[in-house]
Amino acid sequence: MYGDLRMKKQIKQKQIFNHYSAWKYIVLVVTVLVMLLSAIPTWYGEDAAVQISAKNSPAPSALAIQRQLEASGITVKRIDQQADKTVIVLENDNQQTQAKTVLSNVVKDKSTLTLALEPAAPLWLQNMGFEPIKLGLDLRGGVQFLLDVDIDQVYKAQGASLADELRQLFRKDGIRGARVEQSDADHLIVKVNNSAANSAVRKFVKTQYPQWQATNGDGNSVLLAMKDAEKTELRNLTVQQNLQTMRSRIEELGITEALVQRQGENRIRIELPGVQDPAAAKNVIGATASLAFYAVKEQGTGSTMELKDKQGQPVRVGRNPILGGDHIVDARASFGEMGMAEVNITLDSSGGKIMSDFSRDNVGKPMATSYSEYGRDSEGKTTQTNEIISVATIQSQLGMRFRITGTGSMDEAQQLALLLRAGSLTAPVTIVEERTIGPTLGAENIENGFAALGLGLGVTLLFMAVWYRRLGWVANVALIANMIMLFGLLALIPGAVLTLPGIAGLVLTVGMAVDTNVLIFERIKDKLKEGRSMAQAIDRGFSSAIGTIFDANFTTMITAVVLYAIGNGPIQGFALTLGLGLLTSMFTGIFASRAIINLVWGRDSRRNIRV
Amino acid sequence: MIINMKNATKWRYFTSAVSITLMLVSILLVATKGLNWGLDFTGGVVSEVQLSSKITSSEIEPLLKAGLHQDVAVIASGEPGRWVLRYAIPEAGQELPSITDMLAPISTDITVLNTSIVGPQVGQELADQGGLALLVCMLCILGYLSYRFEWRLASGSLFALLHDVVFVLGFFALTQMEFNLTVLAAVLAILGYSLNDSIIIADRIRELLIAKPKWSIQKINNEAIAATFSRTMVTSGTTLMTVGALWLLGGGPLEGFAIAMFIGIITGTWSSISVGTTLPELFGLKPEHYLPKVVSEEP
Repeated sequence: MYGDLRMKKQIKQKQIFNHYSAWKYIVLVVTVLVMLLSAIPTWYGEDAAVQISAKNSPAPSALAIQRQLEASGITVKRIDQQADKTVIVLENDNQQTQAKTVLSNVVKDKSTLTLALEPAAPLWLQNMGFEPIKLGLDLRGGVQFLLDVDIDQVYKAQGASLADELRQLFRKDGIRGARVEQSDADHLIVKVNNSAANSAVRKFVKTQYPQWQATNGDGNSVLLAMKDAEKTELRNLTVQQNLQTMRSRIEELGITEALVQRQGENRIRIELPGVQDPAAAKNVIGATASLAFYAVKEQGTGSTMELKDKQGQPVRVGRNPILGGDHIVDARASFGEMGMAEVNITLDSSGGKIMSDFSRDNVGKPMATSYSEYGRDSEGKTTQTNEIISVATIQSQLGMRFRITGTGSMDEAQQLALLLRAGSLTAPVTIVEERTIGPTLGAENIENGFAALGLGLGVTLLFMAVWYRRLGWVANVALIANMIMLFGLLALIPGAVLTLPGIAGLVLTVGMAVDTNVLIFERIKDKLKEGRSMAQAIDRGFSSAIGTIFDANFTTMITAVVLYAIGNGPIQGFALTLGLGLLTSMFTGIFASRAIINLVWGRDSRRNIRV
Repeated sequence: MIINMKNATKWRYFTSAVSITLMLVSILLVATKGLNWGLDFTGGVVSEVQLSSKITSSEIEPLLKAGLHQDVAVIASGEPGRWVLRYAIPEAGQELPSITDMLAPISTDITVLNTSIVGPQVGQELADQGGLALLVCMLCILGYLSYRFEWRLASGSLFALLHDVVFVLGFFALTQMEFNLTVLAAVLAILGYSLNDSIIIADRIRELLIAKPKWSIQKINNEAIAATFSRTMVTSGTTLMTVGALWLLGGGPLEGFAIAMFIGIITGTWSSISVGTTLPELFGLKPEHYLPKVVSEEP
């Protein structure tokens, strides 16, 4: 019995040595296969397409579209028609703009036409959810803007509104000789003569304007400063507001893949792939929005006009607005006393007076809010769009601060607040950075980048095969698997964008990825020199190299992470491919090559062999 | 002249001296000539245009000068007929005249390939961000090294790192090649790469210090370098080959990156062997520093 037991133990030990269980191979093969499937659509790339969205009128039939395009000498690859949109994929990328022009004669509403890119991969791959890698602007061409939102103007408006209120307080309470000065965008100095007035000011601010911090200054003066929390809140609201405005404006440009993103505290980054003329885009971005309150009127009751609401229903309102949006200081959505969503609006003092006078005489009557936008069309003419965004009934006399209830859900209230702020938190937006990359240059960048990648990969594969011979082939298989995984991951990770520096990162990864294998092979060589058998040398070689591999990759990982965290667009692309490349090279270099080596040399007990 | 185990120490001292001299020269170059900061950091306008290959820069320059009322740098790009134009953003309120209009007298067939306009404020921010990235990287690496290695051993790797970065900066100062964001990314990648080399040798030194406590530190260093030498050469070789491919085929936008990486890898390999191992010796690294410490049982 005792002898049997020992024998079993020995067998068990032998099995552990240089053996990967079947599930590890399954994991390996499945991972590489999935990554391969994910990487393939990138190989096919994307086709230029024109998209017709069926907004109000149905799109023309696919056959009619095809006939029209063929007549103009445009070859159509395929047309996908669905209930809500029609996508026309073109054979030739250069005919995209031409196709749009032709189609604009076919469809009723030109604004339903948008330029798009459709994956060119076979449908079965697309149906599995695999998409090509998203390319950065430097590779596909387009325009990029960086906008600076001047928040100081918003602080200034808030300060001015508080100053107005304080002056009213002085008049009402008969405080004489008091002065309010705006020393800075977010600082006020209130100069008063006596301590009674001082405490009155402080009390007023504490109860009515808790977002301001009051401290004592020289003599009896009071220093008011906006609290940091309020500043952050205002900044977020303003930037969010501007983001929303920009998104809806760019939608009108007809670019499906435009990117509008907040960058840092008060910057907005806009990427418009495919756009070659920054002037047109600038006109749209630079448009100004305004807001107005109107009395809702019956037809034939004096001078009226008709404005459309969001659903396209006409609303009849007085010709002159009660109040312009420039009087709105703030608008925020919140939950009211009954737990219903509402929008709280703050007006400046003159606006408050007008509103109070108007609402006193019109309790129980409806009031409409309109949103209008001034922009420039492609010919540089000023255009105006006007839309009713809400109609509410006046419940009681309104003052400087009032609320709109019955706005529906919290989401809808937030939407309304956002639109109301458009007329108020109008922080001036300036373009601080603008980059245009021509489509030829983008294509050239891709070509150069991948040519360099191809050459680098080829030379490395050749070198490894010559230098390490049989083991070199293992490294080569690992390197190719590494590339497959890297491309697969780039396509899979949401938000991952391949840029030109990103391609440089890929090329660098090819050179550095073999390091993992080289470290292991050199250790194996050392162990063989010490007179161990091949199988033993493999086991020892791998285990002694892993610590070093980890150390060496970790430092490069630090730089990749820091670059990703601090860098901007293209540099982040570099950090991404570098960092991902390190991870995949560890996976393939350690795990995949061990799996292959175990299969081939795992049981090789020969000594004194050369590798 | 043959390097063997007997004279290897001398060789290491000699190469270290060369390293330090080159480093001093580099610092001097950066201090006197300064770097040719790219658009990313200075702000301004850069346009790349394609003209007929017969047109020379002396024809382009006066037209642009007259149109923009300022000096315009006209730099030949990779291909014939391709020019990079660089100038400052006109004062506020002034419209930017279009390049096609300005160059109309000499050619009507002009393609503007790309244009970048970077505000001075953004340039300053990018420069600050770049500096911050460099600093944070250094601090993280310092933290990792001090955790992983004894300080004497870490000092060598760290010095080698500084050496490489200073040398690359010195090269850019000497040649006055444009130092832009991509080159900065390369410098950061060099940080990682250089350390990679140093760490692999340091790992060996540590192993030998523990395994052969009787050996002199010089012998241990020489042995560690010899044991890792073929790995160092193979990895540096493959990385140099791929970066070389990038230099050769990557085109204009990646040229600065490829050159910076190429130099960085060469100096990275050089410094990890020379100063990287010599400095710990000078600081008096001994096997005792890696002997397991006897933990006292008393609290």
